[in-house]
Amino acid sequence: MIQTLLDALSYGGLYGLAALGIGLVFGVMRLVNFAHGELIAIGAYLMIITIDLGLPLSILIAVAGTAALALLMELSVFKRLRLAGPSVLLIASFGVSIFLQRSYEIIFGALPISGQIAPWMSGVIEFGDTTITRGSILTIILALALLLGMRFLIESTTLGLQIRAASSDFQTARLLGVRSNYVIGAAFVFSGVLAAAVAFVLVTQRGSVDPLFGVNITILALVGTVIGGLGSLQGAALGGFAVGATISLLNSFLGNYRVYTYTWLFILVIIVLLMRPSGLISNKAYKERA
Amino acid sequence: MTQMLEAVSIVKSFGAIRVLEDVTVTVRKGEIVGLLGPNGAGKTTLLNIMAGYETQNSGTVSIDGRCIDGLPPETRTKAGLARTFQSGRLFPELSVTENVVLGAIGAGASIKVANRRALDALEMLGLTAVMTQPATGLSHGLSRLVGLARALTANPDYLIMDEPAAGLNNHETPALLAALESIQRESGCGMLLIEHNVGLVADACSRVFVLASGELLFEGPPEDALADEGVLSAYLGDATMGLHGGRE
Repeated sequence: MIQTLLDALSYGGLYGLAALGIGLVFGVMRLVNFAHGELIAIGAYLMIITIDLGLPLSILIAVAGTAALALLMELSVFKRLRLAGPSVLLIASFGVSIFLQRSYEIIFGALPISGQIAPWMSGVIEFGDTTITRGSILTIILALALLLGMRFLIESTTLGLQIRAASSDFQTARLLGVRSNYVIGAAFVFSGVLAAAVAFVLVTQRGSVDPLFGVNITILALVGTVIGGLGSLQGAALGGFAVGATISLLNSFLGNYRVYTYTWLFILVIIVLLMRPSGLISNKAYKERA
Repeated sequence: MTQMLEAVSIVKSFGAIRVLEDVTVTVRKGEIVGLLGPNGAGKTTLLNIMAGYETQNSGTVSIDGRCIDGLPPETRTKAGLARTFQSGRLFPELSVTENVVLGAIGAGASIKVANRRALDALEMLGLTAVMTQPATGLSHGLSRLVGLARALTANPDYLIMDEPAAGLNNHETPALLAALESIQRESGCGMLLIEHNVGLVADACSRVFVLASGELLFEGPPEDALADEGVLSAYLGDATMGLHGGRE
């Protein structure tokens, strides 16, 4: 039972990080960035490729590389589409996503690349009669630390204040003199850092990476941002957490019927959206503009 | 060189409709100037052109002799021209203080300076009681005052205000008048006041411009405007409510 709850918290934290990464960019740009999955994938590739340099350096390279790719996405594609509508941005993000997937195929091959990242995370810890996996505990700690760190950054720094203002009403923030390109660039960089953290946890669990590595979690994290409330950063993290925890609990309780996990998940998603169409935490400014 | 915000010979059309016809408005530093006119006279269009939200067909806007045509609104803010919005345009998720601090941050101030300016502005406008509240719960009148505080933290040389008294009650309007006089005295800021409340304009302003149907009908002291037959026939049928106790 304790392992089940820890797994739910761990999955929830992981999906919360992914959803917050997506929510950050959506907040300042109204861009649903489908290419977030490819940021997660590059983080995993970089970790596996550089693991011989030692775990700390490998993680550092992965974080820097993922953040750099996120910023490159913004500078090379999305910055040029500032005046475009949400549908154009959405299609552009699909284009970036597919371009990167094909690039990974060409560079790393279509087949999975395996590597042992932090194998000690798969061990167990025993508390009396209860055994729990180290991976669950460490994922919870990592997710909590990053979510609290992001919360501090967003709630207590000048940059965070500008990100929150831009998320609330980008046009007014820009008119007040908030440096829009700087704020958007920062949101992409933070989104990349969060993607690298998600990549670390996923690659330690799976032990391999392929070009579609980040697609599944990105789609489910997007569902989380919608459930949490589009445009709300707290909502994104909460919605992502809810989706991840629900998947974990359903997997556990459905036992041999776990093939229906996503059926039940999306039934629950539909019920939540019927009851709260604006999500769990709605962004008033976003709702007024919609 | 006279320190002055100038909009000279402004012409603006939307399609075939001419909304401003050769309009010239000037605001000297340290002066409070009123811009009056019935609905549809072109006041907000002129304000939007001066603040950089719309582009004129012809004419020039300048600050202290420096032409600012073509500069976007945020650059004009940094050049010393701030504005308030009719609707307040506050960030609902942020607290009142955070909203006000952003005005200074946007103008390039450090967070330390921004916090100090925000506190000064909130105190000047009597908003300290609501400073920790989220902006979403404020009344219409308070939202406008917070918007004014936000504009002040940009430390502007010139401030354009779009109907700051609309929605204020009988206690808040005199407080606004006192605040405007205090701003004028302490910062030497030149202010252009677009306002329907003629009583407030008469009390606060040394000069008024009156627009009607996109043309400048009058320029001079407010007491002369109130005695001008052209102004009376074009406008005061609507505005005497403000003169006799305020329409709000």
